[in-house]
Amino acid sequence: MAALILLAVIIYPVFFNNSYVTFMLFLFFIWAIVASSWDLILGYAGVNNLGHVAFFVIGGYLSGILAKNLPIAAVWCPLLGGVITTVVVVIFIALPALRLPGIYIALYSLMFHLTIPSLLTQTRKWTGGSKGLREIPPLFENIEMIHYYYIALGLLLLTLFIIHKIIKSRTGQAFVALRDSADFARSLGINEYKEKIKVFAVSAFLASIAGGLYAHFIRSITPTTLGINTFLLTLTMVYLGGLGRFPGVLLGTALIVFADEYFRAMGMLRHLVLGALIIFTVLFFPKGLMQIFDRLDTVIGKMALKKAG
Amino acid sequence: MDTVQWGVESTVCQMTSMILSTLVSGIIISSLYITMALGLSVIYGVIKIFNFSHGLLAIFGAYLVWWLLSRTGLGYGWCILISAGIMFGIGIIIYWSMIFPLLKHPNWDLSTLVITLGLGMVIENFSLIAFGPGTKAIPKFIKGSIRWNDYSIISWHDLCTIIIVICMLLLLKYFFMKTKQGQAIRAVAQDMEGARYIGIDIFKVFSYTFAIGVSITGFSGVLLASKLSLTSSMGWDWLVKGFVIVVLAGLGSITGIFYAGIFLGISEAFISFFFGIIWVPSFWFVAFLIILLFRPEGLSSAKL
Repeated sequence: MAALILLAVIIYPVFFNNSYVTFMLFLFFIWAIVASSWDLILGYAGVNNLGHVAFFVIGGYLSGILAKNLPIAAVWCPLLGGVITTVVVVIFIALPALRLPGIYIALYSLMFHLTIPSLLTQTRKWTGGSKGLREIPPLFENIEMIHYYYIALGLLLLTLFIIHKIIKSRTGQAFVALRDSADFARSLGINEYKEKIKVFAVSAFLASIAGGLYAHFIRSITPTTLGINTFLLTLTMVYLGGLGRFPGVLLGTALIVFADEYFRAMGMLRHLVLGALIIFTVLFFPKGLMQIFDRLDTVIGKMALKKAG
Repeated sequence: MDTVQWGVESTVCQMTSMILSTLVSGIIISSLYITMALGLSVIYGVIKIFNFSHGLLAIFGAYLVWWLLSRTGLGYGWCILISAGIMFGIGIIIYWSMIFPLLKHPNWDLSTLVITLGLGMVIENFSLIAFGPGTKAIPKFIKGSIRWNDYSIISWHDLCTIIIVICMLLLLKYFFMKTKQGQAIRAVAQDMEGARYIGIDIFKVFSYTFAIGVSITGFSGVLLASKLSLTSSMGWDWLVKGFVIVVLAGLGSITGIFYAGIFLGISEAFISFFFGIIWVPSFWFVAFLIILLFRPEGLSSAKL
């Protein structure tokens, strides 16, 4: 079934010309990259990193600044921006985080996220301050929505592939081991520091490239993207899907992206409803939407037992 | 030669008065921050959850007072008391509906984090809708200031605030040390299992600790709002400062809050005076980073 959906999504824009739907799907791809890379560090590795959305935004800003000020072709900027962001993240977040227990990482990374707008205002000359970075060049000349669509889709598929590979690999198992039982993992010889740095680097890299792509598409980027609303929405995408239940995060992202758009008509009530949605989700689906599949399995299992006995 | 001497003396005089006035503002800010961080610390110290709706609850407490002041003819003091009471009730409701159900699951630390974030969002937008987006102002308690030689040393309102904060700290100390409920709270904070053995109902203690925390937070919002203005988006800034203070104090320690608040408040006053307000958020971030690198346990490891 997943293959069918994939096929539909791939051929869609070739046959239909509905730019609104294309745009929505593009958004979905971008946020899916951010959310699934966040799930990697939050759900699989169990590291309470709350600064992920900041990585996305920094990646976007860097890509825009590089494209505007340096004679590098815009198409490479997201990649370059991604590399720089990753380095910055590793130095400022991952390294301190190595020594801190769970809640401190959460606080510190959240604070990082919340301090960036002020930093942006101070570097006004490069970043455009509170007005944001404008007139970011598009990825290449004569680019159209449809190109962005396929680039984003390609990037998403690549991200999912990478994440899938990591989860199945020994690194992925190391993440999970550290999350569930750190002492035991250490006793097995798993180097906690190395693994933590790895997971920060990978997730930050993916998110920041997505940020770069996003920035070039919208042609501008502002500090509002760092607002608490974006942060909470993205966190809900991850949470709703189920932390550490891999494909679940895609469900969560889809739900939030479309709900956000759907509720846009509500005006001011929108964020209220979204906040309430978060509360509702955490209370009733603490393990994410994938719980529904669990319950289905249980129900099917019981039915099978009844039939057999 | 005489004129040079006079020049030097008056510069020294000016410097001293500048430093003194910065110090005074520092103490005022400290007292506000101490109150604000108290609610957060009490909740964390006992229940071990971090209430991310903290800043927004403070704002809401202030909004309640504003609303009561403008809609009813009640006196200032009554409005504050009613607001504190309502916040207490809200705290109980939040605890039983949102926190208690989550405590049973193994990932309660992350889920309470997310749910309080969501709650913060709801409160922020609810306040926006219910009270309107404009900046509100709560009047100061008393007008005028203490003067000396044409210099205004400290306004009566600020002095009042400091006295109120000191009174509140003493009251809390009395509550925790002498009353049965207060001692129960301390028992749970120090040793949850032990408290259970002697028959203390942990979840009930959690509920009124949470409610007290929310009530204090709402009250701190009133204090803060009477000095600065009131907009719903300030909640998140206060939350951030709150948690830097709480971490510096040592998570769960109330005596630590006192020292941390003083240190951070006075530092902020000096930074903002000598470098400009624009550097204040960066200062908080750097301060937090330094604390986490060198002493993440904070100043005091006392449990309440």
